[in-house]
Amino acid sequence: MEYIETTEATKKQYIVVKIGSEQYGIDISYIDNIVRMQKITRVPTSQFYFKGVINLRGEVIPVMSIRRKMGLEDDVYTGASRIIILKFEQKDALGIVVDEVKEVINLGPDEIDKLSHSSREAKEMFINGIGKNGDELVSLFDINAIIDEHETV
Amino acid sequence: MDVSQYLEIFIDETAEHIQSLSDNIMALENEPEDHDVINEIFRAAHSLKGMAGTMGFKRMQHLTHDMENVFQEVRNDKIKVNGDIIDVLFQCLDAIEGYLNIIKETSDEGTNDNEGIIAALNGILNGNTAPAVKEVPAASPEEKTAHPEDAAAGAHGKKYLAIGLSEAEREMLKNAEDSGKVLFGFTVYVQKECLLKAARAFLVFKAIEEFGEIVVYQPSAQDIEDEKFDLDFSFIITSDEEGVDKFLSAAKAVSEIEDVFGEQIKYEMLVDTASKEKEHEEEKAVSQEAAAPAVAAPASVQAKGEPAKSAGSAAATTKGKPVNKPVANRTVRVDIEKLDALMNQVSELIIAKNSLVSISSSDSGDGTQSQSFRDQIEYLERITTSLHESVMKARMVPIESVVAKFPRMIRDLSRKLDKKMELYMSGEDTELDRTVVDQIGDPLQHLLRNSADHGLESAELRKERGKPEVGSINLKAYQEGNNVVIEVGDDGNGIDTETVKRKAVERGLVTPEQAENLSQKEIIDFLFMPSFSMAKKITDVSGRGVGLDVVKSNIETLGGDVEVKSKLGEGSTFIVRLPLTLAIIQALLVEVHHELFAIALGSIITIEDVPVSEIKYVQAEEVINLRGNVIPLIRLNEILEIDEPENEPESLTVVIVNKGEKQAGLVVDNLLGQQEIVIKSLGKFISNSKIISGATILGDGEIALILDVNTLM
Repeated sequence: MEYIETTEATKKQYIVVKIGSEQYGIDISYIDNIVRMQKITRVPTSQFYFKGVINLRGEVIPVMSIRRKMGLEDDVYTGASRIIILKFEQKDALGIVVDEVKEVINLGPDEIDKLSHSSREAKEMFINGIGKNGDELVSLFDINAIIDEHETV
Repeated sequence: MDVSQYLEIFIDETAEHIQSLSDNIMALENEPEDHDVINEIFRAAHSLKGMAGTMGFKRMQHLTHDMENVFQEVRNDKIKVNGDIIDVLFQCLDAIEGYLNIIKETSDEGTNDNEGIIAALNGILNGNTAPAVKEVPAASPEEKTAHPEDAAAGAHGKKYLAIGLSEAEREMLKNAEDSGKVLFGFTVYVQKECLLKAARAFLVFKAIEEFGEIVVYQPSAQDIEDEKFDLDFSFIITSDEEGVDKFLSAAKAVSEIEDVFGEQIKYEMLVDTASKEKEHEEEKAVSQEAAAPAVAAPASVQAKGEPAKSAGSAAATTKGKPVNKPVANRTVRVDIEKLDALMNQVSELIIAKNSLVSISSSDSGDGTQSQSFRDQIEYLERITTSLHESVMKARMVPIESVVAKFPRMIRDLSRKLDKKMELYMSGEDTELDRTVVDQIGDPLQHLLRNSADHGLESAELRKERGKPEVGSINLKAYQEGNNVVIEVGDDGNGIDTETVKRKAVERGLVTPEQAENLSQKEIIDFLFMPSFSMAKKITDVSGRGVGLDVVKSNIETLGGDVEVKSKLGEGSTFIVRLPLTLAIIQALLVEVHHELFAIALGSIITIEDVPVSEIKYVQAEEVINLRGNVIPLIRLNEILEIDEPENEPESLTVVIVNKGEKQAGLVVDNLLGQQEIVIKSLGKFISNSKIISGATILGDGEIALILDVNTLM
């Protein structure tokens, strides 16, 4: 019993989402909420990777297209599309659009390969590790890189 | 005594007293003989001294004490007020304000003794030495009640020995003792956190009265009942029995009592202390006398003036507090955060109300909706609107708190710049949101300095031009629709647009050819550019070129704008326009190619239908001629990156908006009506070119973006 508890403590929970054909993990401690796709109001003259703002129970929350930010082709909304609301201590909330939310997984340090930022490939600038979930690999998002201003060109 | 919890109150009240002193000293300068003013000043100075003493700010207390002495002399007609004295007094106020600022930051008064000012104050007294010495004891009525406590001003003491006795009380005590009764004196300390001090005191009295009769109270029985005492009270009882222990245990049995001191006393002990008290007063007078001539006086006053000082501290506990709290206006200080929370709740209520309104108006088709439902919604609408207004009003404060310091500033400037000037203010009671008021002080101050320094001409030049020698500066505040307007004007030289133009060309901001075509307004706008100073020489008043641009940006962050009217040779006026509220506004909802936008109603002049055929072109820009005004057209779909509708309609709906005197016409597809909207921020992540100042949530949950008209022009 005790053995399990200690390992649980060092494990982190991630939500696995699908963007395109790849799976990505988001540290659950950043996630405030997951909502269905809803009407996004475009904000003129904003950064191109912002889809606009949504009304989340009376709060106006900006929504970012992670696809656009990573230089992938634009989102196609389906019934499985979701907006994941991230919350940060100092800054306000931010929504990101994903194609599908799959599951919650626990990853211990030994199940994560840290990634050094040597890769020049655009979409990997937002990844800081690869998690092994059984046979599948999950790229772990570096949340701070996502909210960072600079973008792939 | 732990006073830290009173620090905020102390800071607020000190600031109030400083302001009232400043106002009254200004008044005194004009009417040196006005006794009401002098009395008012004396009271404020006295309270200041007392408060500083209570809080343990020795240096501040010392300074205020010496200032009070001067006022004392003025009050007794021993000193005539003149300009020099007023100057010293103002320096003194500045020094006190300095202490206050340090206290605000560090909760400590700092180490500046302000010896120079104290010496100057004593110098004033000294110029009048003889009466001064005589007069100080006359201050005793103020301090007498306080002084007795001085004997026990330490943490705990037998203050009952120092009760000031009236003739009647002495008589009574003497008689009681003569008739074989025993006298006891008691001082009771209640706990700091005790909430119902008066009730505790009552219980103590009740317990004591089982054994004897209470004859003297300190403070008075009425004051104790009204809780007008700090943490202790003393009383003297007469009893038939000896032995103090039963009294002590009875009193200590009452809860929330910190400690009780008491013993059997003799009548002489009381009388003795009373006469000692007199000696104290005289000693104090002597120390004043000694202090006055010496320039490095503080040291000696510090040593010898001890009784006087602690008297001051006691004065605060007994006198200072009751004196200045209750009368003025009945207010409750509310933390602004609590109001913010209330405001947010009202905002949500308004959103909820809006959605009800939209439901009620959307399905009126099937006729199932009853009349009473709609009535109720209208009722709700009325309530939320008035609730909103009330909350807004609770956040409103008169700009008086900001502008009240200006007369003093102008007076100082007048001396510094050696120009005669007078400040005329009106509309000080105009109210603005607290957050706006807090931030409007600096910009206004700058504009006033600007008027004093650059605006007004020297006296000779004014005479030459046939203007009155004394220049006038006007500060006028008034409400105009949803805005508050504050005008700062002078009857000075006005802005010399030719010079500004030359300077702009010199700086390479425009070519000489361009300069020729600039309108007067465009030229004046140069003044608001960073580091564009017009002063020929830099004074320490203004002229470093870090001014008007900061003024402008400060005002713009508050959602306001500045405009200038100026006529060469006649003066200039800066017009500052500020929004009344920051969170909820009335707005017009418009549609541009199926997207919704809100435009603040305050900036809309009219709405016009303009046939496409009436659009003219000036320098390849679209304009319309509206009743003689040529107004540029702004195609919102272009600015907002919206595709143009395929076939342009024959006539355009144009919303005419203004920013100051500038007008523009915004082309929209549809008007959706007027609504009260709650402004929400878009957050820090989205950046846009400021065209969108925020968003709002409509009744049906849709988001409409708020267009900032000011950035479009």
